[in-house]
Amino acid sequence: MARPSFFGLLLIAPALAMIGVLFLYPLGFSLSSAVTGPGGELSFAAFQKAYELYSTDILFTLFIVIVSTLLTALCSIAIAGILTLSETPWLVAILRSLYRWPLFIPFIVAAQCMRTFLAKNGLMNNSLVALGLMEPIQATSFLDWRGIIITFVWKQVPFVTLMLAGAMASIDRATIEAGRNLGASRLRVLIELVLPQVAQTLLVGLVLSFVTMLSVLSVPMMVAGSQPTMLTVDMAFRINSYGDYATANALGVISYVIAGTVAWIYLRHNVKREAQI
Amino acid sequence: MDNSVLPAIDIDRLQVSYGSQQVLHGVSLSVAPGEFIAILGSSGCGKTTLLRTVAGFQKASGGAIRLFGRDVVDVPPEKRGMAMMFQSYALWPHMTVLGNVGYGLRLRGVSKDEIRSRVAAILKMLNLSGLEDRKVTNLSGGQRQRVALGRALAIEPEILLLDEPLSNLDAKVRIQLRSEIKALQARLGFTAIHVTHDREEAMTMADRIVVMDAGRIAQMGSPKEVYDQPSSPFVASFMGAENTIELDIRATGQEREIWTRDGRSVPFSGPVPTGAVTAYFRDDVASLDAPDARIEGSIVLPGRITQRTYPGGHYRYVVAIDDRHFTVTDDRYHDVDRPVGLRLPVASLHLFPSDYAKGGIHA
Repeated sequence: MARPSFFGLLLIAPALAMIGVLFLYPLGFSLSSAVTGPGGELSFAAFQKAYELYSTDILFTLFIVIVSTLLTALCSIAIAGILTLSETPWLVAILRSLYRWPLFIPFIVAAQCMRTFLAKNGLMNNSLVALGLMEPIQATSFLDWRGIIITFVWKQVPFVTLMLAGAMASIDRATIEAGRNLGASRLRVLIELVLPQVAQTLLVGLVLSFVTMLSVLSVPMMVAGSQPTMLTVDMAFRINSYGDYATANALGVISYVIAGTVAWIYLRHNVKREAQI
Repeated sequence: MDNSVLPAIDIDRLQVSYGSQQVLHGVSLSVAPGEFIAILGSSGCGKTTLLRTVAGFQKASGGAIRLFGRDVVDVPPEKRGMAMMFQSYALWPHMTVLGNVGYGLRLRGVSKDEIRSRVAAILKMLNLSGLEDRKVTNLSGGQRQRVALGRALAIEPEILLLDEPLSNLDAKVRIQLRSEIKALQARLGFTAIHVTHDREEAMTMADRIVVMDAGRIAQMGSPKEVYDQPSSPFVASFMGAENTIELDIRATGQEREIWTRDGRSVPFSGPVPTGAVTAYFRDDVASLDAPDARIEGSIVLPGRITQRTYPGGHYRYVVAIDDRHFTVTDDRYHDVDRPVGLRLPVASLHLFPSDYAKGGIHA
């Protein structure tokens, strides 16, 4: 189009206004208040305070989210791979009907379930003891960083698997058969022939999962103890207990930067691919 | 075991079902080492299923497949040691030409340098030299299918399966690749099964043709045998004898005669039993003559030309006889709407008892 018409602008105006009011304004506001001192001057005091108090939590958050993303990738690849390459129809049928359920369970419900499942005397340990796989004395609570990771992975795997299995189903089946025909085992077919063809989709799913996990409050709050914890919990704490919006906003900006870095990696990869094609 | 005595592929009463629907009803076929077999049939006849079962992508519900004497019915596809070409090329889009062609060698633990030199040799054979590092998505259809052929041949397979590999290519490239594959087969000596619905492709490439119909083998034999002596109305019409006419064979004393429905007759000697028969003939065995001509050994039916086309080399006419229409090729030019005689040499007609024909025509 040579010149945007007035009517066209009018049509998109409501959408633009929504983005402006509900997203850009709060974003700008939190950014500016993170770098504003008590007297209204430019100040990085909030960042300094956030760093002094929460540098461990920043690292903890990064660790949790990165490990969860990697585990999510592994599990999703395994499940989508079985759905695509398995020759055991009943296994595929069971897996297909089961794997999507966590998608429909909210994070807070998932966290609540995990509390009872992963506790010292929770369902998991009791089952292991009952099966004779573990002595009661060995039972430990998983309600710490491991609990957060387990909950995140349990919640995000279906989402990534859904995308990945869809992408795998749409690649040319003959490319899989050509590999097996030449002598590749199904594992090699999955890793060397199928995954590279759906890498783009996997990356999108993982980036979205990464950002989602970075922003969940309920899971770290309910599953794990208070120290160390994730940035979302710290932000809520600064606001609820102290009304300290400046530090909370500084922590928010740090979250933006982490999420932004991942989005940038994704976009850069995307541009490179498009340039190749 | 001595490979030269055993058949390369021995398919023994093979049955395949999709759920409750049976697709192959006990197919038996033996392929000698170095033989080029074409499986010909219309879509849905089970030819692709047969090939996929030999490759191991489809489970057999009964029967056996033996490769050089080794039963492979329960062997997964990656352990059968054959190579295959696909209609969709099935190249891996994330790999270069080198990656695609060399993949089978990589699976076999061949060193990188050797892969490079062996791939170079194969690409040279296929006139693709220097394209090693090209992405396969940047190649033309013909080049892609050549890369797929190279990928299949790189592992020096004893058996090559071809699943309509030429049907996505344009006519010129198709004919070129046809002869290239045939030449390579003669040179390298692999055994090949080629599935196609293209009659000419099957005829020109194969040593032996297998015509399939509804999950069964309708006929097998050399291209000439199948073309000249079809064993059933289905094979006759599939091999191009699409004109049909009802005739009668009557015995008068010692002699037998073949009668048209409007009362003309010619002497007949052949293995077909007396009674009503349906004659199948190709448009190139019939010719045009005068409406009242009487020619030894031929039936002449009076009719009228309703259409003339020139596909090149000869004319093709549509001749109406009563309410039936026949296609005929003839070298000479005739005017449309002119009365003519449709001349049918009795020896070139494929005759089948009429009750046989009723159930048998699909094409």
